Amino acid sequence: MRVARGRLLWNLFGSLGILLTLGLIYAGLPALDRSLPADRPVSNARPYKVGGGVTVIPPSGAMIDVTQTRPGPRQGTVLFVLGNVRYVLVVTPFRGDLDAATDRLTRKIVRAGGQRVAGSERAVDTTAGLYGRQGDYTARDRGGRYTVFLVDGVSIEVTVSGSDTELSRVSAEIAASTRSIAYRGGGA
Amino acid sequence: MTAATGRPEGASGTGGSRSARTAPVHPTPVWAVARKSLLLPAFWLVTILLAVGGVHLFSVLREAFLEYPKATALTVALFAVYAVPFWLFVGALDYLEREPPLLLATAFGWGGLVATMVAIPGNTAVHNLLAKVYSPEFAASWGPAIAGPTIEETARVLGVVAIVLIAHAQINSILDGVIYGALVGLGFQVVEDIVYAVGAVDVAGRGDDVGPVFATFFVRGFLAGLWSHTLFGALAGFGVGYLVVRGDRSLARRAGIATLAFGGAWACHFLWNSPLLAVEVGDNGYALIAVLLAKGIPPLLMILLLVRSARHREADFYIQQLVDLDDPDIATPAELRVLSMGHLRANARRHAYGRAGTAGRRAVRRLQRAQARLAVAISRTDPVAVDRWRTEVLAQRGRLRVLGHSEAAAPDERTGSMRRRMLYLLVGIAVMAALCVGVTALS
Repeated sequence: MRVARGRLLWNLFGSLGILLTLGLIYAGLPALDRSLPADRPVSNARPYKVGGGVTVIPPSGAMIDVTQTRPGPRQGTVLFVLGNVRYVLVVTPFRGDLDAATDRLTRKIVRAGGQRVAGSERAVDTTAGLYGRQGDYTARDRGGRYTVFLVDGVSIEVTVSGSDTELSRVSAEIAASTRSIAYRGGGA
Repeated sequence: MTAATGRPEGASGTGGSRSARTAPVHPTPVWAVARKSLLLPAFWLVTILLAVGGVHLFSVLREAFLEYPKATALTVALFAVYAVPFWLFVGALDYLEREPPLLLATAFGWGGLVATMVAIPGNTAVHNLLAKVYSPEFAASWGPAIAGPTIEETARVLGVVAIVLIAHAQINSILDGVIYGALVGLGFQVVEDIVYAVGAVDVAGRGDDVGPVFATFFVRGFLAGLWSHTLFGALAGFGVGYLVVRGDRSLARRAGIATLAFGGAWACHFLWNSPLLAVEVGDNGYALIAVLLAKGIPPLLMILLLVRSARHREADFYIQQLVDLDDPDIATPAELRVLSMGHLRANARRHAYGRAGTAGRRAVRRLQRAQARLAVAISRTDPVAVDRWRTEVLAQRGRLRVLGHSEAAAPDERTGSMRRRMLYLLVGIAVMAALCVGVTALS
């Protein structure tokens, strides 16, 4: 049982072609993606449209990570970067109450290696009249704060993470930004 | 042609056979041995990639099982069952010259394990690049329409190319390319749907809840499933089949047709993912159905017409093998007509059941299968197989005669066919109404 040398070579080149193309898709495109900067400046002069009808005034000096920012008509995500602090808003349709929405976010935090600080949860609101719940969490080398608002079947998850020093440096700007979150231009 | 040489007149280019003129069939040579594939680099490449893809999918599902055992088990079970009718339909396209099950499984595995594994980082990278070069808004709107077809169609068509490299002799006609392409697409569709369903459970945030699984199954399986990756894969596979089989045409022309077919698959996928006619679950159910039909039916019809044409041309070739025998004990003129079309074969079995019960239906089914195998054996000039299937045909013919049903054909095919079509139409309308109610309930 033998295969002709010509066919073998043809087969080898074909196989290499397949491997090369798959490699370009699997590793080449992500490498090209990583080689380009993802941060873009964002103005805090006007509300930023996160998606799903939710807006927020970005913290001063923040940049947007465009790879983690996807606005849409029914949902949306934005990642603001302030130095090493990450400030994320995720808007999704949600059927459930505030307890369930908070539980969903804290599950995500736990899955990502974080731990909720017991007894840290408190009620929060925004200037537009949205009501929600806020708490703190810790991770191996970072700490953070989570906030959940629920309005009209839409959940707004806010997560802030960074080292204690960095967080204390920008906490006022981020708190002000969180208070500026609005739904469809107003409140509930 | 003579049975001894196994060459139909049409195949030599001197006859009038449509298959010979417009879509030649290259029977698998008798000397083609499956074990030879073990010596080919492509075989080992595919084996390794399938293994890596299997481990990757296992790790994804393992995490999901640990987090949501009930929902994940239901998801896997639902979509596994969902794949069965698709597989049977695609397999039935190739009734006369069946593809080796191992190659069919390889095609399915490529779509489900290799193409999905590669597409995830590739799609993400293209989305990110669009966001960086244009804007996050552009990436959110047009990312699925640009990244999806570009990455996924490429990863999938490579699966058909890999099948060609492993088992070139098994690609006998353009239809074979369609079948392998469709199965690569089906594998991709099933695994992608499983991942989406598990993701929906996670996003819903209600723990191990099966509600999002059923919603995903309904939307992605039924509303979007009919004209999804299986269809796009079939079209791209058509091009590969043409490139491989139509050796009588210039390489430039073959490459052009293959590129056109790939471009067609890309365009259908682009249209499907495009925000131009965007609707989401939650919108009016009737509007959603209307848009899905508007986006899905044109490519579905186009691809079905291509498949129909490729199928009839392949059938012409194999039926010609039996025609040239000119032996009514092997196949009567009516049976030759019946053998080439699936609904006529089914009519003949039903008719036999009506006249001679289960034994009659079984004998007709076996006769049809033996006639098809005999035609393939003649075309391959395989005297051992020819003897075997000729004996089987004559045995089943004898059985039918004993049952008082000498010919495996239905006399009144039109009526039966029309009745069945009306039934299909009514069932279709009922399903559409149920879909509208379902979509409205989801909103």
